Amino acid sequence: MITQITFYLFATILVLCAGMVVSARNPVHAVLFLILGFFNAAGLFLIAGAEFLAMILVIVYVGAVAVLFLFVVMMLDVNFNQLREGLQRYAPVGAAIGVALLAELIFTVGRLKLVPGVQEPTLPGPQISNTEALGRLIYTDYVLLFQACGLVLLVAMIGAIVLTLRDRPSARRQNISLQHARLPADTMEMMQLEVGAGTDALGGFIRPRDGYGATAEPIDARALPARRSDEKLGA
Amino acid sequence: MEQFFFHTVAGLVVLTVLECLAILVPLLMAVAYLVYGERKVLGAIQLRKGPNTVGPFGLFQTFADAIKMLTKETVIPSGANRALYLLAPFLTFVLAMIAWAVIPTNNGWAIANINVGVLYLFAVSSLGVYGILIAGWASNSKYAFLGGLRSAAQMVSYEVSLGLVIVSILLVVGSLNLNDIILAQRHVWFCLPMLPMFVIFFISALAETNRAPFDLPEGESELVAGFFVEYSSLAFGLFFLGEYMNMILMSAMTSILFLGGWLAPFNIAPFTWVPGPIWLILKILFVLFMFIWVRATFPRYRYDQLMRLGWKVFLPFSLVWMVLTAGFLMATGMLPVGSANGVG
Amino acid sequence: MALSPRVATPSSEFRHTMQNLLSAYFPIAVFIVIAAGVSAAMLGGSLLAGRQKPYAEKNSAYECGFDAFDDARRRFDVRFYLVAILFIIFDLEVAFLFPWAISLGRIGLFGFWSMLGFLGVLTVGFIYEWRKGALDWE
Repeated sequence: MITQITFYLFATILVLCAGMVVSARNPVHAVLFLILGFFNAAGLFLIAGAEFLAMILVIVYVGAVAVLFLFVVMMLDVNFNQLREGLQRYAPVGAAIGVALLAELIFTVGRLKLVPGVQEPTLPGPQISNTEALGRLIYTDYVLLFQACGLVLLVAMIGAIVLTLRDRPSARRQNISLQHARLPADTMEMMQLEVGAGTDALGGFIRPRDGYGATAEPIDARALPARRSDEKLGA
Repeated sequence: MEQFFFHTVAGLVVLTVLECLAILVPLLMAVAYLVYGERKVLGAIQLRKGPNTVGPFGLFQTFADAIKMLTKETVIPSGANRALYLLAPFLTFVLAMIAWAVIPTNNGWAIANINVGVLYLFAVSSLGVYGILIAGWASNSKYAFLGGLRSAAQMVSYEVSLGLVIVSILLVVGSLNLNDIILAQRHVWFCLPMLPMFVIFFISALAETNRAPFDLPEGESELVAGFFVEYSSLAFGLFFLGEYMNMILMSAMTSILFLGGWLAPFNIAPFTWVPGPIWLILKILFVLFMFIWVRATFPRYRYDQLMRLGWKVFLPFSLVWMVLTAGFLMATGMLPVGSANGVG
Repeated sequence: MALSPRVATPSSEFRHTMQNLLSAYFPIAVFIVIAAGVSAAMLGGSLLAGRQKPYAEKNSAYECGFDAFDDARRRFDVRFYLVAILFIIFDLEVAFLFPWAISLGRIGLFGFWSMLGFLGVLTVGFIYEWRKGALDWE
């Protein structure tokens, strides 16, 4: 009884949130409704007894994916009205995906099978926790799918870098091993000066002898202005 | 009486509410005295007295501050998104509190002794980003925005190594239940065999809670106060209290994962007389002192150094250590088979 | 296409654990409600207790005494975006590690090498991003 009430509560909020995600004017609000929706989906997983999935949904989707969404809508000030106008073009693709999902739902709800002889998943006994039951299956019975996941993640990683990484030629980076290997004698020079005499008589002092560039290495040396170490500051 | 509390629905609800208050009220008091304690410790380290005017030894200082904050005006900038602007501190404070529902204070004593306690803690701590990100965006101020983004990138960077540290502990324990994790440390606390992971966890915890030397999101000298620059009154107070509550939470997590939680340091007579919750509190206090000590000692990190430490040092190191742990347990046949309580 | 009805009815034992599961999470729900109540009371209390006297200068965004030059919400370094993507990938990796760590004792050497293969693939990606300088900030 209580299970039913919680189910309908979570399900109703989830559907309402999904509606708000699509209809909200402010994209940041849309993402926040999406997050609320994720929480309710996690609640539904809990009702189904899948506590590991519920937590992972929160950790991965709310804690990571939605953060990326928020970053994007906050940082890239995309013109969302312009995007809305593209709706007509993408509508057929969206509809196709919707139909596929609907078909899957019908198959699940109607308990229909496309291929005969498929083994029903056996429910784990109450003495094994949800997480452990998953662990016993993923890495042995479904090892190929698991490795495929790894490859998908690799592609995602490389794709993200290829798409977003831009080297800025003027940027300087810290080279920590070089910095640590540096000796005081490389950069500093002690001079004995007469009272009233300048450094000019001794050939002027050079600052720094090796140049600052040695420890903060430029990505492209040609793009930088000539090094300061060539200039005699004292002269 | 017993009939009411344990066998009727209303009784169970009342009991649960009382249990929650039994955690929350001491927690809020602890936050108030942590603020006071931090100022006193910092004062002692810097040869000052710290707060000493309000009440004996300044003991009521935090309450005076709280009353002052309560009566201040809540300024909402005209360009801000009002609902989200107020949601951000609310969210930060709620998230800092709800993690405590699963912390075990004695053998089997937790408000909710769930199977996936560690995952719950990990999930709640991964949500902490939102309060800061929303605050930074909703204020519609450049400093706040910059601070919010910095902070979000920082927190997610250190979360990965936090996760890997937790996984290597799970390898030894074989259960996600926090109580099982503590019971697995009966013979030796995990801070000894996994000392490098303990260090990484502690430093990552500093970064997760935006504490010095990783307090770049606030960075008074460059970002004036970071993501909460526009906040005033108790809206600011909730951020402030949330940060301290997160500190206590991270200390509790460190105690549970590495310092044996409510276990006595040695399983012999004089130590076992002291009840478990006292040991837990003592351990939390020790880790909290480390937090404050670090703040008094180290200068602030630079942002590129912070990212380098997270991605190029902690991530590969904790990954390699995790694999080595697994390999070692595999080779010596010390892996836990099944879990301690049957249901893990 | 053979359409045969399913024969999966959860055992009563399973139903029982489900009920236990929900009751284990019930205190968390209560805790969240109380925590939300406390926060809302504090926030609302300060809104009520403090005298609210807003005026335009007070309500303008802080920018070292100047009027704000332009809108604060603007395009930002793509690097933050890259960090978020890399975080998702590693977070998923950690998510896969949790059940593995729990069940390693049962799945034995095969499970161990299967995870090592997975981590190996991701390490290739990690080395790639390291060499490309995606982890460098300047």
